[in-house]
Amino acid sequence: MRLAVAGKGGSGKSVVTGTLARILARRGHKVLALDSDTLEGLAFSLGATVPDSPPLLAAAARGEDDRWRFVPGIGPVRAVQRFSTSAPDGIRLLQIGKTTTGGQAPVMAATQAFHKTIHGLDRARTFDDWVLLGDLSAGPRQAAYDWAPYARRILLVVEPTRQSMMTARRIRTIAAQTRPGTAFSLVVNKATHDEDPGMIAAFLDLKPLGVVPVDEAVRASERAGIALIDHAPDAPALGAIERLADALERSTVEP
Amino acid sequence: MKIIVAGKGGVGKTTLSGTLARALGRAGHRVLALDADTNPMLGVSLGLGAENTDLLQGVRQGLESGTTEHERSTEGFVERFGRDAPDGVRLVVATRIDRPNPGCMCCGVSPESLMRELEGNGVVVVGDLEAGIGTMWRLNEADADVVLVVVQPTAKSIEVARRALELASERVREVIVVANRIREDDDLEMIREALGHEYDYVLIPEDAVIGEADRRGEAAIDIDDHAPGVLAIVALADRLAGVSAPA
Repeated sequence: MRLAVAGKGGSGKSVVTGTLARILARRGHKVLALDSDTLEGLAFSLGATVPDSPPLLAAAARGEDDRWRFVPGIGPVRAVQRFSTSAPDGIRLLQIGKTTTGGQAPVMAATQAFHKTIHGLDRARTFDDWVLLGDLSAGPRQAAYDWAPYARRILLVVEPTRQSMMTARRIRTIAAQTRPGTAFSLVVNKATHDEDPGMIAAFLDLKPLGVVPVDEAVRASERAGIALIDHAPDAPALGAIERLADALERSTVEP
Repeated sequence: MKIIVAGKGGVGKTTLSGTLARALGRAGHRVLALDADTNPMLGVSLGLGAENTDLLQGVRQGLESGTTEHERSTEGFVERFGRDAPDGVRLVVATRIDRPNPGCMCCGVSPESLMRELEGNGVVVVGDLEAGIGTMWRLNEADADVVLVVVQPTAKSIEVARRALELASERVREVIVVANRIREDDDLEMIREALGHEYDYVLIPEDAVIGEADRRGEAAIDIDDHAPGVLAIVALADRLAGVSAPA
């Protein structure tokens, strides 16, 4: 299962990604979570910690020709093995690293190493039986710059707002050109009215693979900065993401 | 006066920017709304409608696709690529990502270069930034007079706001924290505790009218200009506009 999760900022990408990762890991899958967002999100929703500086900083260096390369002895597999961190339920988490107030330059080595790693995952047989689950930054930016090359399927997380629906449509249009052959699935999040899933499905011409209801428990866990699965094990939203995991496990778009 | 709106994705930057621009326009100011998000949506919050907003071209893409030499002045961009929104607001989209590999976003026409060149002279500029702090660390003192850092009572948005505040305070004269979607009594206190008491805080209550506007893709101020959330933004507009009298 190789997925990336995309959508408008605030639509719930990280909550869906982090919770899905935890559920799949508890079902026995080996899960590699790929956090390509330089803003806070996935680590909170997984219940993992964010290191003070990105571990991947040590994985790449700039040569005299100004090109970035992995440091000697490191390739995509080694980068994951050595520089991913542990998250609950046995998940491995590879983080691009958070942008510092010093700008992009201090974290550039990590950014480059992350980019090289995700572009090398397809050739690495080591992860053939893993679930790769990526959380993209808000909007269409990372879809346009090919930041989910591993993804066979992009989950578009959409809430019932016009801007969220428009953003998903834009992402889909661009991602389909970046990586032809990518499958797209709709996850309706924060559904409040009965007609929400149908409204969004009609707008995007995609059937919802999952429908997650608006849920006070999610709000409370976001407020507290605690993973939903730890904060509210009985939350209706959690049940909905479990059903999404069922649907993904049944799905047949895998190569 | 130049106002910049920053914060994590989904905290309400665009709703704040759009409503603020409309309120300033209504109060008689000449307002230029700059959509500096590569996923531009400010047109929706200004009340131009979702489909119209989807048709707007970015200055950058306009220049790239043009076959003739354009006047490369910022006034020229505003004239050529701008679009009129209600209450006399003029909307300009800086850059729109609409295809794979759109090139380097900080070269050429960038949000911060447009902010820099848009001269005040009686015009109030409201710049709605892309989610996060990417644009913030390229800002200079000349680019903005006020930065509004939007935050909601969630741990993630507070962490982003913390860095945005640090950057903004180093670069811009006035920084205001806008605490959005405040519902419980201790929401604001939680944010204040986390970000520090030294900042100036403005509160916007959770408001069903804004939720309904988001749903419909309309401007909240058009649905109910006396809704509590809208009124809080109008009050902020009045306060900010006190700096410069209407033209």
